[in-house]
Amino acid sequence: MPVTYRLAKDFNVAANIIRAQVAPNQIGTLLVELSGDIDQLDAAMEWLRLQDIGISTLSREIQIDMESCVHCGLCTGICPTEALTLDSETWQLNFARSRCIVCEQCIPTCPVQAISTNL
Amino acid sequence: MRTIAEINDKIQRQQAEVWTVEEVKARTPELGIAEVAQRVDVITTGTFEPMESSGAILNLGHTDPPIKIYQCWMDGVLAYAGFGAVDLYLGASQPAEYGGAGDPDPSDGTRDALRSPVRRRGGGHVIADLIAGKSVQVRAIGQVTDCYPRASLETTITRDTINQFYLYNPRNLYQNFIVGVNGGDRPLYTYLGCLQPRLGNAVYSNPGAIAPLFNDPYLDVIGIGSRVFLGGGIGYVAWEGTQHFPLQKRLPNDTPIGPAATLALIGDAKQMDPQWVRGCYFSSYGASLMLGVGVPLPVLNEEVVRRCTVQDSEIVAPVVDFSIPRRVRPTFGLVSYAQLKSGRLTMDGKTVRVAPLASLHLSRQVAIALKQWIDAGKFTLTTPVAPLPSDRTFLAQERISSQINLE
Repeated sequence: MPVTYRLAKDFNVAANIIRAQVAPNQIGTLLVELSGDIDQLDAAMEWLRLQDIGISTLSREIQIDMESCVHCGLCTGICPTEALTLDSETWQLNFARSRCIVCEQCIPTCPVQAISTNL
Repeated sequence: MRTIAEINDKIQRQQAEVWTVEEVKARTPELGIAEVAQRVDVITTGTFEPMESSGAILNLGHTDPPIKIYQCWMDGVLAYAGFGAVDLYLGASQPAEYGGAGDPDPSDGTRDALRSPVRRRGGGHVIADLIAGKSVQVRAIGQVTDCYPRASLETTITRDTINQFYLYNPRNLYQNFIVGVNGGDRPLYTYLGCLQPRLGNAVYSNPGAIAPLFNDPYLDVIGIGSRVFLGGGIGYVAWEGTQHFPLQKRLPNDTPIGPAATLALIGDAKQMDPQWVRGCYFSSYGASLMLGVGVPLPVLNEEVVRRCTVQDSEIVAPVVDFSIPRRVRPTFGLVSYAQLKSGRLTMDGKTVRVAPLASLHLSRQVAIALKQWIDAGKFTLTTPVAPLPSDRTFLAQERISSQINLE
């Protein structure tokens, strides 16, 4: 079944394939980022379930590689929600995940490429 | 009070009293300068920050038949070859050259292009990789001569398969720097990272009162030949750094109000530790090298201790607007490092977020690591062989060309 085609054609939902493992006569997995109108996204997910496609949702999260991080703090001036801050005692980087809105502005800001997303 | 020879004698017997500069700042108000000077032999200082005027000298060793290298790339980064046959200089801020597979077109400004691991590399990364023991690809074109008949070379090197590999950094250890802001209406990508429009953020790059040269404002106990901690190995002050400007205006406490003294450093990269040498990249600006540098200050007299008591509230840096793309940019005045480290600044009635670029955490760790070396008797001090100049002016390059007269 041309899944991503139907998502686009019937629901106007863009499917950005991030990872895929699909082989003939086997159960395949597809990791896709879906974007579109919220109601149409719901309808698209409903349609997918009706096709016996199991869905688990995953939201994008910021990940920090503390091995690479040098605690320079450059990201703390860019982070709009102050999820990234420097501890005023140790001057080490703190990441308050609950405040993060995954705007991803920190990713290109990091000079040592220690920040990425989980997808 | 004491001489460097006496201090070294105590270091070798592992009896020297070594404090980090932070300990001196914290304890002197209570103990008094005279008492601290009496007790302490060496004060250690450190910094960890991007130092783009850094680079490595390498000698590859001769191939058979031998080659006189005319042009050379190391992991795609151009190295300067204008020396004897296989001597090279790899600059930290030289960008990797592109066009190979897997290199997306940056002109469309997509996220993927910004994130491309190839595009975000330069000489600093190659230097850090070699120090980390990784192998690096070398591609060289030779100038064919009767004594150097080889025309080209492709090989892989590590730090153990080449003769010399040492850093020679023309400008390290700025004594103070600036604070960057952007008063314009578009983001600016600079050597201080991204400066957000309409004073969206401010970035400072000097670790302030713990930085080595803030604690010896006139370089009284640092000179040519001073032994230092460089990238986790042993290095030396080689010369004044480029743009060394000791005549910068100073506060009554003798600390400069902007960029002032700089040092050229040299040290064996084969002994350095990847923890203290990191390649880095500033989006839409370029590659650089983050380096840990530690400087020991011998307590030769009480004045050395008095200088080390300077606090973040007593030193300042100028706030510079990068939206004016000229050599002399407008400033918003001076701000103290205590204010900068609070993470907030008020400008034009607006609160501005402030971020450092030097790692205050790792700067502190450098001073501690150097203290541990001295405590263990592994690091002794040297007497400078010559003082650093105290009267260098800061010349600008004025264009001298035929003027077109419009009248």
